[in-house]
Amino acid sequence: MAEVNLENVEKRFGETWAVAGIDLTVHDQEFVILVGPSGCGKTTTLRMIAGLEDVSAGDIRIGGRSVVNLPPRDRDIAMVFQSYALYPHMDVYRNMAFSLQLRRVPKKEIDRRVNEVAEILGLTPQLKRKPRQLSGGQRQRVAVGAALCRQSGVLLFDEPLSNLDAKLRVHMRTELKRLHQKVRSTMVYVTHDQVEAMTMGDRIVIMNGGKIMQVATPLEAYDKPKNRFVAGFIGTPPMNFFSGEWVDSKVQLGGGVKLPYPRSSPNGTKSVVFGIRPEHIYVRPSGNKGETAVPSVIEVVEPLGHDVVATASCGAGVFQLAAEIHDGLKPQDKLDLQFDMARAYLFDRDTECVL
Amino acid sequence: MFEREAPLGYALVLPAVLYLGVFIAYPFLMSVWMSFSDAQAGNQKWTWTGWANYSKVEAYDVLANSFHVAQFKEKKDAEAFLAARDKATVTAEPAEGGKFKGVLHVAGKDVPVLQLDNDGDASFAVQTILSDFDWSVAKSGTTWDVVAKTKDTPLTLGEFQDRKTMKDAIKNEVLVEADTTIQEKGTGVLQDPNFVRAVKNTFQYTFGTELLKLLIGVPCALLLNRKFAGRRILRGLVVIPWVIPIAISAQGWLWIFDSTYGVINWALVHSHLVSPGQVPNFRGDKDWAMFSLILVNVWRGFPFTAIIILAGLTAIPDEIIERARLDGANAFQRFFYIIAPMVRPILMVSLLFSVIFSFTDFNTIWIITRGGPYDQTQVLSTYAYQLGINAGYLGKGAAISLFMFPIMAVMVLAMLQFLRREV
Ligand SMILES: Nc1ncnc2c1ncn2[C@@H]1O[C@H](COP(=O)(O)OP(=O)(O)O)[C@@H](O)[C@H]1O
Ligand SMILES: [Mg+2]
Repeated sequence: MAEVNLENVEKRFGETWAVAGIDLTVHDQEFVILVGPSGCGKTTTLRMIAGLEDVSAGDIRIGGRSVVNLPPRDRDIAMVFQSYALYPHMDVYRNMAFSLQLRRVPKKEIDRRVNEVAEILGLTPQLKRKPRQLSGGQRQRVAVGAALCRQSGVLLFDEPLSNLDAKLRVHMRTELKRLHQKVRSTMVYVTHDQVEAMTMGDRIVIMNGGKIMQVATPLEAYDKPKNRFVAGFIGTPPMNFFSGEWVDSKVQLGGGVKLPYPRSSPNGTKSVVFGIRPEHIYVRPSGNKGETAVPSVIEVVEPLGHDVVATASCGAGVFQLAAEIHDGLKPQDKLDLQFDMARAYLFDRDTECVL
Repeated sequence: MFEREAPLGYALVLPAVLYLGVFIAYPFLMSVWMSFSDAQAGNQKWTWTGWANYSKVEAYDVLANSFHVAQFKEKKDAEAFLAARDKATVTAEPAEGGKFKGVLHVAGKDVPVLQLDNDGDASFAVQTILSDFDWSVAKSGTTWDVVAKTKDTPLTLGEFQDRKTMKDAIKNEVLVEADTTIQEKGTGVLQDPNFVRAVKNTFQYTFGTELLKLLIGVPCALLLNRKFAGRRILRGLVVIPWVIPIAISAQGWLWIFDSTYGVINWALVHSHLVSPGQVPNFRGDKDWAMFSLILVNVWRGFPFTAIIILAGLTAIPDEIIERARLDGANAFQRFFYIIAPMVRPILMVSLLFSVIFSFTDFNTIWIITRGGPYDQTQVLSTYAYQLGINAGYLGKGAAISLFMFPIMAVMVLAMLQFLRREV
């Protein structure tokens, strides 16, 4: 059992708060992704779990045991670093076997484990090579292999795919997911790439400014963002935001755009931010209830293949919408775009929480 | 003409080629020529003399330092023979060919030991074996031998012009089993005991200092690589010995080493650790003198080693060390399994430079001991200068400096080979 619990964990570097008090439980054998913009404290959180960084306050438990006073080697964790951190003077075999040799695992057992992991990762032909004789993707797999050989309860990854080219990255994404289903360790995975987070994680932890914004499954994070940050971070292209006023079950945006807002809402007048995803703005009425036409002008069309991202403007401002290539959108087209109000969001303009 | 790059390229490297030719190749070739000639101060015209400066044997001295005077089946017989040494006598008896045998008479036995040209030499040599050598009983193969030995004053059996007469003479002259050594005498530097000592000193000086530099430089680099208050200041201070001109710092060491007024001896005497009569004579005693030279070179050279290793240490990414910590390596294991192997290539480079500096070092020795006392601390560079410039034997001086060349070439090639395997 390797459940990871973070309780009100804080980390301060001098005056800056890298992590400003987070609570998180990662269940046994779960694949959890920490995602957020650069500098939000993901790496620091991971390093505190690993023991490479002391906590300023709070408690970390692994498998129910508080580890804040344990050295890294006694924490039942293995970590894959962003730079891979391979030992340049050791061959692949030795790189993977090193931690086992230090732990005095019998030679036979080391051999068995290394060969098994090498087989899984397709590294068997490279076992005698030095890291500098390997390609980027192979090095990355050696780093993963070295962590897997440990058979520790918890595996930590710090942006392990960010040094790979786009194609290899997509391939390794699937590979790592498959691997997780095989080895069943608890995995905590850090990335700044929300696509990686959405595709790989059982649950994702969205962080910003040293705080956790939301912990949710990928679907929940997409459908039910708790606040404006999560709503804007999850999804490509990102959600469109307009500031406006909420008056009498209607949202008034700039330029006289008035949208009915059907959900139960606060009384009276309120300063709000109205949010709607590009994929919930339609070119033609679909006949669904709650669609509202907004007169707009298409400005830019970016075809991606079947999908098209178009930039349009209405009285309230500029926004993006997702269409299909067969919709035949062209710049300067003037048309009524359908805003799917049932899938739109309202955020409090001060607290940025969803209303 | 500026369209083509080749002429401009040649023009740009021309000064360098000239420099190499004029200041490196010419003196080098000149000294090679000198070493094969009878070049001397005041000697205008040099003539070719072949290898004479390097090696010219004029005679062989045969020295003997142990004789098996008698052999016995039984140990007690040998011991009885040894006990009767006090009453032994020596006579010289005529032998064939007009020679004389030196015969030892002990316990009723007559042992002819040597056969020499005249009776006086024969009896004197055997008398020396009887009275000045140390006698003992030792087992040798199946017999018990009475052996006469000396450590530092071997018996000279004669001087010979060539190897053949020498070999024959030894066979004819020495009538018992004996250990002999042959000493070449001549005018080449290889026959010069000072030169042989200079070679030994050069190696002692080089490897003594390199070992100590590593032993001090490595911990020093590890220390400077840690984060602590004042690290930058300390990093600056450490290199001071390296940047002070050696002519100045060696002068300081001269004062320190002064046997009467120097700070070391002053402190030893005033703390009553050593009485004034027994303080080390740093420059006057040959062992202390070599120690002092090594000390000065280590003091001056260890910052270089430390800074180079420090550069190697800083080049190790933090993540590698962190991974080693996660892998379960303690500080010692991290040092021996990760840090040391990763620093080793750059360490070898620093060692390479350092060995070259020490092997060819002139300044330190010349200022501190000037090769003294009595040429006991000469190294190749100082002895070459002493003999070539001060004494005027240019050819021999050149020959001595050229001895350094193959030795250095071998060392440098070995280290480069090692480096190539590493990286
Ligand atoms: N060793 C450190 N010293 C000072 N500040 C640091 C240190 N490590 C991280 N920080 C700061 O902490 C914040 C979070 O950093 P980090 O956890 O690396 O972010 P992320 O991995 O999410 O990009 C950043 O503002 C960074 O500048
Ligand atoms: Mg990071």
